[in-house]
Amino acid sequence: MTTTQTKAAVRPQADVPKKPVRRRREGAAWVFLSPWVLGACVLTLLPMAVSLYLSFTDYDLFNAPNWVGLRNYTQMFTEDPRYWRSVGATLTYVVIAVPLQLGLALAVALALKTMRRGRAFYRSAFYAPSLLGASMSIALVWRAIFNDGGTVDNLFGTGGWVNKPGWALFAVALLTVWQFGAPMVIFLAGLQQIPGELYEAAEVDGASRWRQFLSITVPMLSPVIFFNLVLQTIQAFQVFTPAFAVSAGKGGPADSTLFYTLYLYDRGFVASHMGYASAMAWVLLIAIGAVTAVLFRTSRSWVFYASEGDR
Amino acid sequence: MPGSRTRTSFRPRAAATALALCVVLAGCSGGDGSSSAGGKVVLRYTWWGNPDRAARTQEAVDLFEKKNPGIEVQTSFSGYDAYKQKLATQAAGGDAPDVMQLDYRMIDQYASGGVLMDFAEQPDALDTGEFDAGLLATGRVDGKQYAIPQARGTETVVYDTKRWKASGVEPPREGWTWSQWADAMRELAKKTGKPGATDPGQSEDAFEVWLRGQGKALYTKDRELGFTADDLARWWTFTDKLRREGAVSSAEQTTQIDGTVENTPLGRGYTISDTNWDAPSSGFLALIPDGVTLAPMPSGEDGTPGQYFKPSMFMGVSADTTHPKESVRLIDFMLNDAEAAKILGATRGIPVNETLRDAIAPELKDFDKTVYDFQASLDGKLNAPPQAPPSGDSALQTTFQRDYDQVSYERISPREAAENFITEAKAELRP
Repeated sequence: MTTTQTKAAVRPQADVPKKPVRRRREGAAWVFLSPWVLGACVLTLLPMAVSLYLSFTDYDLFNAPNWVGLRNYTQMFTEDPRYWRSVGATLTYVVIAVPLQLGLALAVALALKTMRRGRAFYRSAFYAPSLLGASMSIALVWRAIFNDGGTVDNLFGTGGWVNKPGWALFAVALLTVWQFGAPMVIFLAGLQQIPGELYEAAEVDGASRWRQFLSITVPMLSPVIFFNLVLQTIQAFQVFTPAFAVSAGKGGPADSTLFYTLYLYDRGFVASHMGYASAMAWVLLIAIGAVTAVLFRTSRSWVFYASEGDR
Repeated sequence: MPGSRTRTSFRPRAAATALALCVVLAGCSGGDGSSSAGGKVVLRYTWWGNPDRAARTQEAVDLFEKKNPGIEVQTSFSGYDAYKQKLATQAAGGDAPDVMQLDYRMIDQYASGGVLMDFAEQPDALDTGEFDAGLLATGRVDGKQYAIPQARGTETVVYDTKRWKASGVEPPREGWTWSQWADAMRELAKKTGKPGATDPGQSEDAFEVWLRGQGKALYTKDRELGFTADDLARWWTFTDKLRREGAVSSAEQTTQIDGTVENTPLGRGYTISDTNWDAPSSGFLALIPDGVTLAPMPSGEDGTPGQYFKPSMFMGVSADTTHPKESVRLIDFMLNDAEAAKILGATRGIPVNETLRDAIAPELKDFDKTVYDFQASLDGKLNAPPQAPPSGDSALQTTFQRDYDQVSYERISPREAAENFITEAKAELRP
């Protein structure tokens, strides 16, 4: 308390000429921010508040919502087997797609790093799927490729992946893995930050390529790996478009690609249970928050920040 | 003071920026489709259907625009499943199209949700004098006319004419029973090497026909379930057995059904027959060049017919429309105009306007005539249609298909799936 008081007492003298300038800058900042602030309030915060309210109601799109307390939440956890199927499908997908995607992104980034000629071209070429991938059209093409009578069926005679419960999820995961461009570019930037001396020194000491990768590349890159891991995990939990298109909007076959968001959509827009869907959305938000928190917690033991050594 | 000087000069700029922002925001909002453009009244009209229906509807709408120069109609259409979801979202957002096509299953929900206008508000714009009174009544909810049936339709066993003939299996005949149908499917599979039919287990419509053949119904008068887990388990055991024998389509084929004929096993050339509604079956013609034949649905073992004439595809007007009169006039045109009737033919079923029905009957050709003759062959032989299904039914249709997926992929037994469905249905129909 005393320190703040003294600070406050000192302040007027030192700040008098500066204050208006700072306020002016703040004002300008707010004006420039206003489109975003307005957008965030009207398009994000307000709908979020409404959805929180709706999650405690039986809103069905057509009639005024009635307060039902925690019924949506208890129903979700205790009476809805499909809810748990959707949780299972989502977790399976996250566990398969994220490591595969990051692994591929890292492998390609490493290959590109050592490449002398044509790096810019390949970097763009590998990044292209990320630009296309989020679109509905690519997802529909994907469905056609993996459908019975599609390219994959004709080449390998495996039948249609998208119509087999054990395989459909892989078709969706492959679409995600294929879009490894964004993490790859970040990995590439991270790799270029690693000082060359470290490798030179290791080489002098006779460390193998693999040894160098494990002892230099991975620790030095770990903040970037962590960043990509968090980002891709969050994105994977929210996957919707590819699953929607590849499973023809049904999360099928036999609920095998019924991802959380797809089931949420199904409850809200197909079955008109907006209250229930809102409750699901909030549980997802909390779950993603929890997973991210756990990732941050574990990061202490494996993420190495070069600057930590200076402290 | 330099500070204050800059502040004063800053203010107008901030105000200008804020103003510009308001203009931009205002420009972004207010995208109300049903407003007037260049003095013209603009109506939005949406429906579901196949490309054939789309082409004919567009032709009729063009004629309407020509006859009503002051009105412009913006149309859009999609497959049934997608349409259902889009319309529900639009309706919830208060942005329902001015004129919309509705299914029997939607009326209760849309009317009680306040989405639809009562036609009594525009008594002069629509002439219902020529309509079949019983059929017209199906568009009423709580005594108010919220929707106008455009036509009637009925379920059919539609089959690839050439392939069935070539197989040498005896063709379907009137009054055949479900067990005779099953035998025919087994034989077809044996002779042609392809499943005889699309697995009807996924279709709530087919189940309803089977159920009615036993004197039961999907819903009771009190809008509760009219059948038990036993009934459903028997139906799914029946279809599941046929699937295991290869007499009906595999799970991989069945699961692709999404409300368009293109994605049915018959449309994709994997089976010989399908159960579908009569009018939409015209879509098969583009996929099966040698043509299809419509046969009646199988009856109960004692000969009780299960299929019925269902009011197919209603037209409704949004309660929020700014042009109620013009909207109703469009409906009047689609249903009562002789030229429009000629263009539309039987694309939505046989017209509800009885005078026009008789007038266009001799002129019907191709598939329209097929549908007309098919319905004529059943006229007077079927039992009365059930009342409009309760609100939750629309969602249950999808649930039905999904639960059966679990059976056809052999995840759970027909018995378990049936019990799951009953639980889900009871929750869905909870008031």
